Amino acid sequence: MSTWTRKTDYPILTRRIPCWPFGDPKGRRTISIDEYMKPPAEMGWDTRAGTLAGYESLRKAITTYSPDELVEVVKKANLRGRGGAGFPAGMKWSFLPKPDANGDGGQRYLAINADESEPASFKDRLLMDFDPHLVLEGIAIACYACRIQTAYFYIRGEYHHQAKVMENAIREAYARGIFGKQGLLQGAKTKNRDQAWAVDVHLHRGAGAYICGEETGLLESIEGKRGWPRNKPPFPAIKGLFGRPTIINNVETLAHVPSVVEMGPEWFAGQGCNSSFQGAPPSWGTKLMGVSGHVNRPGVFECDLGIPLRVLIEGKDYCQGMRGGKKFKGAIAGGISMGVLGPDQMDAEMDFDIGRKYNVLGLGTACPTVFDEDTDMVAVARNIARFYKHESCGQCTPCREGSGWLYQLLCKIERGDAKSKDLDLALEVATSMGTMPGTTICGLADGNNWAVRTIMNKYPVEFEARVKRTYVQVGLTVGVG
Amino acid sequence: MAWITKNSAGMKIPRRSEPYLTEALKSELTRTILPRYETRRGALLPTLHAVQHEWGWIPWQALEEVAAFLNVAPAEAWDTASFYEEFWLQPKGTNVIAVCRSIACEVCDHKKITQACKEKLGIEVGETTDDGKFTLVELECLGLCEGAPACLVNEDMHMCATPESITKAIDQAKNAPSHGHGHHH
Repeated sequence: MSTWTRKTDYPILTRRIPCWPFGDPKGRRTISIDEYMKPPAEMGWDTRAGTLAGYESLRKAITTYSPDELVEVVKKANLRGRGGAGFPAGMKWSFLPKPDANGDGGQRYLAINADESEPASFKDRLLMDFDPHLVLEGIAIACYACRIQTAYFYIRGEYHHQAKVMENAIREAYARGIFGKQGLLQGAKTKNRDQAWAVDVHLHRGAGAYICGEETGLLESIEGKRGWPRNKPPFPAIKGLFGRPTIINNVETLAHVPSVVEMGPEWFAGQGCNSSFQGAPPSWGTKLMGVSGHVNRPGVFECDLGIPLRVLIEGKDYCQGMRGGKKFKGAIAGGISMGVLGPDQMDAEMDFDIGRKYNVLGLGTACPTVFDEDTDMVAVARNIARFYKHESCGQCTPCREGSGWLYQLLCKIERGDAKSKDLDLALEVATSMGTMPGTTICGLADGNNWAVRTIMNKYPVEFEARVKRTYVQVGLTVGVG
Repeated sequence: MAWITKNSAGMKIPRRSEPYLTEALKSELTRTILPRYETRRGALLPTLHAVQHEWGWIPWQALEEVAAFLNVAPAEAWDTASFYEEFWLQPKGTNVIAVCRSIACEVCDHKKITQACKEKLGIEVGETTDDGKFTLVELECLGLCEGAPACLVNEDMHMCATPESITKAIDQAKNAPSHGHGHHH
């Protein structure tokens, strides 16, 4: 067992949602706006991540900072995006064009990515289910910082219940004058030339398409089109929704913003870990990690970034070991597109450096699915390939066709009908589509590639045992003619 | 597969005289949804959701009406509607059982859940029972991975499902009054 100890011994994102390792999930309920707006001490919530009542971080943000100062705060906190890529949110916000001199730069949009569709990812659901106002407060602060007046909360179609909770929370917030045309917080004067800043939030439901989680696919979907990703550049910060500058942030990223504003970037830097690579950006803050698969206690945990996967799986405060005492065979790094951590990589630190250190694509959503020794990794690869075949949007030929061929090859290998040259062919297909070879618009095929390649490379024996040998005739013709 | 589109040549379009997109629906959408978007087309997904909620599915005639309402070509409405798996362009049962088949659920044996549904309903995946009450589908990840194997019974999440629990849920759905939309088969 590793000697890792957590730096943050109190809940931040989950202080109103009982959640391991800080509380027992039994008795969770959706926090109403009345409860949310009470001081945490009065409600019995942990105050180490801030004593301000709900929406008071928003008040602090708009009354003590100008929009540009606020972007600097988030930049300084190095709050990296929690949706998969780990791109620093403050940096993203600073890419928006500066509004012109009279302050009227036309419409700018915020799109919140709650299209949590990647298999194995389910951590944002927790926030939407139980603490919707935390997310809304983050949205309000982000809108002020980026001078945005309209936000679309893009929630996946399958989240019926969560859509209702969010819709209700938005209604509650409007009724209290937090959103609406009078300006944030009943038209409070902001530090932006003493004017009120009005923000509208709309819920937009998707309808069952994974690709709409890709940021430009998401924008197309809000515009009422198929979720076909757009060519970049122009990047959404310049030309996004309805052709206007647009910021796209993940739910959890925005949920971090209120406490960063209240407690400051230095506090945020005290959680998580620094990068072990010189000059690389740090992995500060806590992260919601959703563990599923063959563990005793699957669920969402709030952890410092950098927690070793072994602690997450074996720790008594976390998953309490492998189900049935079985041996660890591997784990999806965090959403299937990130690839698989092999049997010898259980000590991998769950931070944004994981990709460079352990030959996976990245941390992703930090939602590992854990496999025990009885898992058939060929079937795992086939399942993943089927997902990508199903969800390929069909826009780029290499992905549309390649994902289908890859699925067929893996089915053939699983059935035992394949030859060893089919393994080479599968690997070849899994390297020739995607943005990294430069043959597709978006990264969907890269996810497919990394998942299939890492599984094939980390469990070669299983694949080789399933195929018939291909004998290549090496001929020497002697003495003929 | 999102990219497979209609069989245009042999398609017969059933029509009826009364509209699917009723005046009541139109005025509701005009009041609440249209002002949210910079273009009328932006309201397409919410409009399709509203039609499906009302009728249980989206007939071609309804798509034409939606297209006219939002000033887009019928082909554009179809283009969008056909892309999204959740929009039903054929009639479905009053209740939909959706079993998750993605990675966490597969390694936690989702097959026994699908099997239990098949036996209980007497249909295969993708089929609807003869009485039009149930449709069984398998979907990609529902985002309920910590409760694998998981499924949706209509809009309700069922986590840590067992053959017994899903059979019970089907019985409850069967006996429950219709869950919202006035679906006519």
